[in-house]
Amino acid sequence: MTGSMNQPVLEVKGLSTSFFTDDGEVKAVRDVSFDLAAGETLGIVGESGCGKSVTALSILGLVPRPGRVVGGEILFKGRDLLSIDREELRQIRGRDIAMIFQDPLSSLNPVHRIGAQVEEAMRAHDKIASADVRPRGLDLLRQVHVPDASRRVRNYPHQFSGGMRQRVMIAMGLSNRPEILIADEPTTALDVTVQAQILQLLRDLNRDLGTSIILITHNLGVVAGLCSRVVVMYAGEIVEQGTTEQIFDAPQHPYTWALLRSLPRVDADRHERLRSIEGLPPDLIAPPTGCKFNPRCPFRLERCFSEAPELKPVGDGQVAACWVTMKRAYAEMGAASLLDTRAGAASGVRPPLLPLPLAITRGPQPAGPEPLERE
Amino acid sequence: MSSSPSTEPLTGSRPEPSGEPLLRVVDVVKNFNVGVGTVCRAVDGVSFEIRAGETVGLVGESGCGKSTLARVLTRLTPATSGQVIFEGVDLTGLHGEALRQQRKQLQMIFQDPFASLDPRMTVGDIIAEPLTNFKVVRGKEKDARVQELLRVVGLNPYFNNRYPHEFSGGQRQRIGIARALALNPRLIICDEPVSALDVSIQAQIINLLEDLQAEFNLTYLFIAHDLSVVRHISQRVLVMYLGKIVEIAPSDDLYSTQFHPYTKALLSAVPVPDPRVESQRRLVELTGEIPSPLHPPSGCRFHTRCPIAQVPGICSDEEPALEEKAAGHLAACHFATQVGTALG
Repeated sequence: MTGSMNQPVLEVKGLSTSFFTDDGEVKAVRDVSFDLAAGETLGIVGESGCGKSVTALSILGLVPRPGRVVGGEILFKGRDLLSIDREELRQIRGRDIAMIFQDPLSSLNPVHRIGAQVEEAMRAHDKIASADVRPRGLDLLRQVHVPDASRRVRNYPHQFSGGMRQRVMIAMGLSNRPEILIADEPTTALDVTVQAQILQLLRDLNRDLGTSIILITHNLGVVAGLCSRVVVMYAGEIVEQGTTEQIFDAPQHPYTWALLRSLPRVDADRHERLRSIEGLPPDLIAPPTGCKFNPRCPFRLERCFSEAPELKPVGDGQVAACWVTMKRAYAEMGAASLLDTRAGAASGVRPPLLPLPLAITRGPQPAGPEPLERE
Repeated sequence: MSSSPSTEPLTGSRPEPSGEPLLRVVDVVKNFNVGVGTVCRAVDGVSFEIRAGETVGLVGESGCGKSTLARVLTRLTPATSGQVIFEGVDLTGLHGEALRQQRKQLQMIFQDPFASLDPRMTVGDIIAEPLTNFKVVRGKEKDARVQELLRVVGLNPYFNNRYPHEFSGGQRQRIGIARALALNPRLIICDEPVSALDVSIQAQIINLLEDLQAEFNLTYLFIAHDLSVVRHISQRVLVMYLGKIVEIAPSDDLYSTQFHPYTKALLSAVPVPDPRVESQRRLVELTGEIPSPLHPPSGCRFHTRCPIAQVPGICSDEEPALEEKAAGHLAACHFATQVGTALG
């Protein structure tokens, strides 16, 4: 979280990616823009299908068919990764921008030894002198705390546990000293104690080597522990962006707010009913008109059904795409702030409930089950 | 919604479970033979009780034996030794029809909502299958019961002719819950029921389980690796490590005081969605890997990774018994009372 925050190493501008399926165009990512400063840790959060992984794959030119980037720019130190040729992109990928995937078992080759796989990326890019490749490979495995590394380089992936495989993936990702490390759900498959170790490892790398990190996850707790800035995605779009403190203390988009309130907390000292978000995320082939969160939003206005809100400043550098924003919702509810994501309550102090004059109930209803709660 | 059982949200204290234990597990062992002369001790002498109306959480990391224990309790796999006494009847001694009848009372909800529903059966048939198997109701009455169950779990009752692939993960989990409820069971074993679901859907399912518990007086054994979810839903929590229970406590007590270093380490590693709490995290780091259950360590099984173990010494020589360290709070550690001070 240190390093110079001035010049962004990566600028994503108006990125749109679609999948052209038999059922129609799935607009997986729509008009996504964010910057990554040197040495920064950026979290991209959202639920399955919100477009967070596709955003990462788009940056590296790895979108699988029938998907394709349909618009925007991805500037890595001023060069547009979407317009350079494949060979140039291949050079950057793995050398300057590396990626760690969620499932370490399917990302490692089962018939090659661990050592060879860690060395492969270095040999492919000639960034590391060939005489240094082998000792560096060993060194990296030690750095990521693989015990008894000198012996274990001769092992195959199946001889490693899940946590150890994830460490190997991180060692591979770091082998060429990349400027940017993109980690897509790096700890989701792991046990909680191992998860904590991997996160500590990423934190150390960021601090000691100044590697910029994009962490893609659904786990808000993981983001709170690692990232300095957060991008929240819903249905293919960025709905809110700000510093970690802003997002967790004063979220302005109802989706961010609702996500934080729906989480049970291990440090809660009272038992309270969780406040779930009713309904389901929208179908990205035919998303709702207006704001895509409108079918599930407790604060929606007439306008939310017809006009899509754009990201607008809502605080010091914080942006949110909402016609209402939580500031106004709190005011209408008579609540001073987001009391209910603080420690001490599962979902906290209960604000007076909407619907108020502010909310209307007509308009398209979410598909699927009727809302369960009668609130 | 009309079927939502409790209008009043559960606030403050939870309903007190009462009376006789519904389930008593006595020294249950489950060994698997893996190759000649090698035995995997997946569950190694586990004892605990669940009272009627209670929710007991069971936590532990992958491979600790928690799912095997669930399978032993439901007799999906026989126990090697020990007793599983459900409403006074030892299930381990039952066979055939007697066992089948007992199973009515004891249902299970599975982790993977995609794998646990037959893709070629309609949702109505899936939910009706237990009713058919036990000839509880038939004909029109059965259809009515299926629709009622769909309504109870928050699905449209007219979805009964649809197939599982038409539903999302959260909706499928509701179907699995409806199936588990079909026979009016007393105990439901939930094996990671929300871990495959998105955050916003998780909360829906957790609330549903709580509502159903209140409406139908259900008892849950709730298995999960997510300690935040377990704390939220459970009144008591069991912590397992390598086939053994290392700590049992009322959930609020467990989160304030730990008498086993493993529990302490687990809790210290849980991410909290609050940057301030995160910045003050004091991780109790465990060294090494979880040992193989084929060759569990001598003495206390946790001694190879324990930050406060006396090795060589009592921890590697003598197995600690699961003993009461405070009211209702049991732990298996030689240095239980020093865990708090030694690990901060």
